[in-house]
Amino acid sequence: MARDKIYIEEEFPAPMKQLWLTFKSTPVAIWALGCYVLLLLLAVFGPLLSPHSAMENNLDMLLMPPAWHVDGNISYLLGTDDLGRDMLSRLIQGTSLTFGLSIIVVILALVIGVVIGSISALSRGVKASLLTHFLDVVLSMPSLLLAIIIVAILGPGLTNVLWAIGLVLIPQFIHITRNAIKEEQKKGYVLIPILDGASELRVLVTSIYPNIIDKIIIQATLAQSAAILDIAALGFLGLGAPVALPEWGSMLANSLDLFYIAPWTTYLPGLAILIAVVVTNLVGEGFRHSLKLQKEN
Amino acid sequence: MFSFALRRLNLLFFTLLMLTLVAFSLNYFFPGSPIVNMTGLVNASDAELATYEQMYHMDQSLFFQYLAYLKEIFSGNFGVSMSTQSPISEELVTYLPATIELSLAALFLAMLFGIPLGFIAAIFHNKGADKTILVIAMVGYSLPVFWLALILILVFAIILPWFPSSGQINLLFEIEQVTGFKLIDILLSDSPYRWQAFLDALKHLVLPAIAVAVAPMTIFIRLARTSMLEVLESNYIKAARAKGLSNLKIIYHHGIRNALVRIIRDMGLQFANLMTLAMIAEVIFDWQGAGSWLIDSIFQRDYTAIQGGLIALASFTFLINIFADFIYAALNPVERYARHGT
Repeated sequence: MARDKIYIEEEFPAPMKQLWLTFKSTPVAIWALGCYVLLLLLAVFGPLLSPHSAMENNLDMLLMPPAWHVDGNISYLLGTDDLGRDMLSRLIQGTSLTFGLSIIVVILALVIGVVIGSISALSRGVKASLLTHFLDVVLSMPSLLLAIIIVAILGPGLTNVLWAIGLVLIPQFIHITRNAIKEEQKKGYVLIPILDGASELRVLVTSIYPNIIDKIIIQATLAQSAAILDIAALGFLGLGAPVALPEWGSMLANSLDLFYIAPWTTYLPGLAILIAVVVTNLVGEGFRHSLKLQKEN
Repeated sequence: MFSFALRRLNLLFFTLLMLTLVAFSLNYFFPGSPIVNMTGLVNASDAELATYEQMYHMDQSLFFQYLAYLKEIFSGNFGVSMSTQSPISEELVTYLPATIELSLAALFLAMLFGIPLGFIAAIFHNKGADKTILVIAMVGYSLPVFWLALILILVFAIILPWFPSSGQINLLFEIEQVTGFKLIDILLSDSPYRWQAFLDALKHLVLPAIAVAVAPMTIFIRLARTSMLEVLESNYIKAARAKGLSNLKIIYHHGIRNALVRIIRDMGLQFANLMTLAMIAEVIFDWQGAGSWLIDSIFQRDYTAIQGGLIALASFTFLINIFADFIYAALNPVERYARHGT
């Protein structure tokens, strides 16, 4: 039985919950979130779902066009590439490489960035000012240029690319965490736990983090769309995933010399990247929009 | 204005210092011996290397090594390329202008289409036109540049043979390199086929410039839209409206001018982004610029070239950033005093 409302109760949901409530009322954002979860499932369960192997060559089925084409075959829905590998399976398994790895990289960068950002927000003096100047320099460099330089130092390879992209993303998180914490520290509610005698760390964890987590999540979606594009771009340039792996960017690079006779090998991986980035951006845009609505109310 | 200029130049100085520090430490991070990484002399004898070690003060502490390195860099000596053994500074002079040319063309395209579209979106805020433009902006922002470049080649070079698919100019035209900027070189040359060459070079520029311009264009759309929306909210617009000016006049006389100033502030940051996109586009369109040169040198493990490319590209983006700041400050007097403490 539903509880009767005996007296008028004013409810103040936590910032995250508030964000979710406004987010829920935007249909486009919910659609995007659905697609995002779908991509996530594909990234985790890809190998179980794909109809064929992503690596196995099938010499009888070279360059088979997609199923809607006259020469297509329904058991190879999106056709095959120049080694007879099923495009659909490669695209599905590529999800875990391009999309899945970008999530892991972003989460790692987020954790490190938030920790460093918190430390720098709590410290004062020369250390803090040095860090700000250093961040200004790093942030004004284009992320892909930095990633390319780091790959140049570490040498090509998928793991090195992930390190590079993670390193490039960290400064953004430091910057946003630091500014958000500084902003919250000026507000009145932070004073109450301090007067109660709570330590700086406790104030940070129990009072400030719940109020800045929305900003960090929005930054994370931005970072992820950049990470997907960067992983794919480095894969395309041949600096990232090795040719055999079904990473979307290196799939595109493979198809370069085929794209006149077999255009589907080119436009399908590109579409996959586009969809993944659009979905991530839409989720981020949805969060940003709901944050803006909240501020206005 | 003077103190503003001083602060910006101060920032530029420290940034360049930090950049050279990073480049210097790369010599130690890269595999191989530091002196070979600095000079690029892979085939030099021990005796030759010893004289270079003297030049770079390799027997002294890291601090003096860095000072010696700085001195060489500022006198234009970046060492020689490990793969071609020609001086890096000469290679940079050949390749960097092509990248700048492509980026500037793309920046021009991005602003030419992005800013008006953003203004239109702001004027029809929350109406159909606004939403369509925002959807276009979202998709364009998410397009991977290399894929867009391939699709452009497929459609406009192969299916519809309107534009050439790669290179900077038809090889039939012999253009002497003076400035490195193809279009300027052509105009400077005294060949009788100058205008044909110019048109041909322009045609070669179209597809790469579009591919590079799309993502920055969408950012300009967003910037223009938000800045126009802010301007339209402001009091002087309300005053103009109260005076009875027509909507068109308000937007033309007050809106566009004030909104444009804010966009210029972000132009510098966009240019950095644009240079990276240009680097990838160069690889696809076989454009002989600094981007494809840098990526080639990564494959060839040409460490001196990587260093030189890093210093050149990064300091160029910083210069553009600061240049945009100056333009902004010149146009907007408020800004000269507001930014204390940066």
